[in-house]
Amino acid sequence: MKHLRKAIYAATLLLAATAVGSGGSANAATGKDVFEAKGCGGCHYTDGPAKEKTIDDQLAKKGPELFYAGSKFQKDWLGKWLADPKPIRPLKYNSMTEDNPGDHPKLSGGDVAAVTDFLMGLTSKDVAAGKVKPKKNPKGRQIFTKKMPCSGCHQYAGRKNKLSGGRSGPSLVEAGVRLNPDWILAYMMQPEAFKPVKMMPVFAGLLSDKDMLNISRHVASFKPKKKK
Amino acid sequence: MKKLMIIAASLALTSLFAMAPANASETEKVYKFYCAQCHGLTGKGDGPNVTKDFPVSPRNFTAAKEMDKLSDADMKNVIMDGGPSASKSPMMPPWSKTLTAEQVDGLVKHIRVLCQCKGKQG
Repeated sequence: MKHLRKAIYAATLLLAATAVGSGGSANAATGKDVFEAKGCGGCHYTDGPAKEKTIDDQLAKKGPELFYAGSKFQKDWLGKWLADPKPIRPLKYNSMTEDNPGDHPKLSGGDVAAVTDFLMGLTSKDVAAGKVKPKKNPKGRQIFTKKMPCSGCHQYAGRKNKLSGGRSGPSLVEAGVRLNPDWILAYMMQPEAFKPVKMMPVFAGLLSDKDMLNISRHVASFKPKKKK
Repeated sequence: MKKLMIIAASLALTSLFAMAPANASETEKVYKFYCAQCHGLTGKGDGPNVTKDFPVSPRNFTAAKEMDKLSDADMKNVIMDGGPSASKSPMMPPWSKTLTAEQVDGLVKHIRVLCQCKGKQG
């Protein structure tokens, strides 16, 4: 009898674990359906590798590619953003003159978790895990603001939380909540794997691996200031 | 025979002129994609990054008098290696790993069109 109880208990545990596992992938499959049904693919492609070869290819896109979204974003941030999208780029995608209209469609209810699961399942083999530990990094900060022109194109929270930096690139305010620190480094080191045609200069080959690591740590440390 | 040579020369010239605008438009596209972020679409140094906090004034390519002081080689060096290579601001990035030599040559020509100047010779 005791053995029977143990067997039933073990079987119950196994069933529960299976249900959770398949529930995750079922949710991602639902997310893919939602992504397609809502027409998200009209602006974002999700099948890699990167397709752009020319400036025209890049300019023809209406939104960023998402085929490595699971390696780029942090899951908590992505879910919140899909439910309440706020502009990340000050300017409209691919525009030099128009402000971002902030009209990205919202998701609601179960669609949020489902699409989050779908996108987080889109990962890249080019992003090595565990390389970047976010922390304040004076060298990275110096490169970001002084030695290289990063701050010329990207907004960030400067001294006393003052919004500083340029407007042509995506904002890096609170980038440490949005981006996977390891993706920042991978993107610096081999941008062609993610965005072969982009307005940002290629720094690989100009900066040392150590400096790219320092910048990645610095950007990954951009988080909301703790209230005192 | 003379007629044939004239026709051949005309054809060669026509195709040369037909190619020029295509290259120029390609170069303009490169300029607008990369350089206009800071230098502005028409080269006046008023791109979208130039807010009141921008630490330097990007070069105004339409200022012929200033642009005339630079040789083509000076411009090429700064495009390739960034502002610090000419004791200028690091806000001007090094583009050597992004642009091809042909694109850089095209940009120098395009900037000469914007400034309507020939620049320092030799």
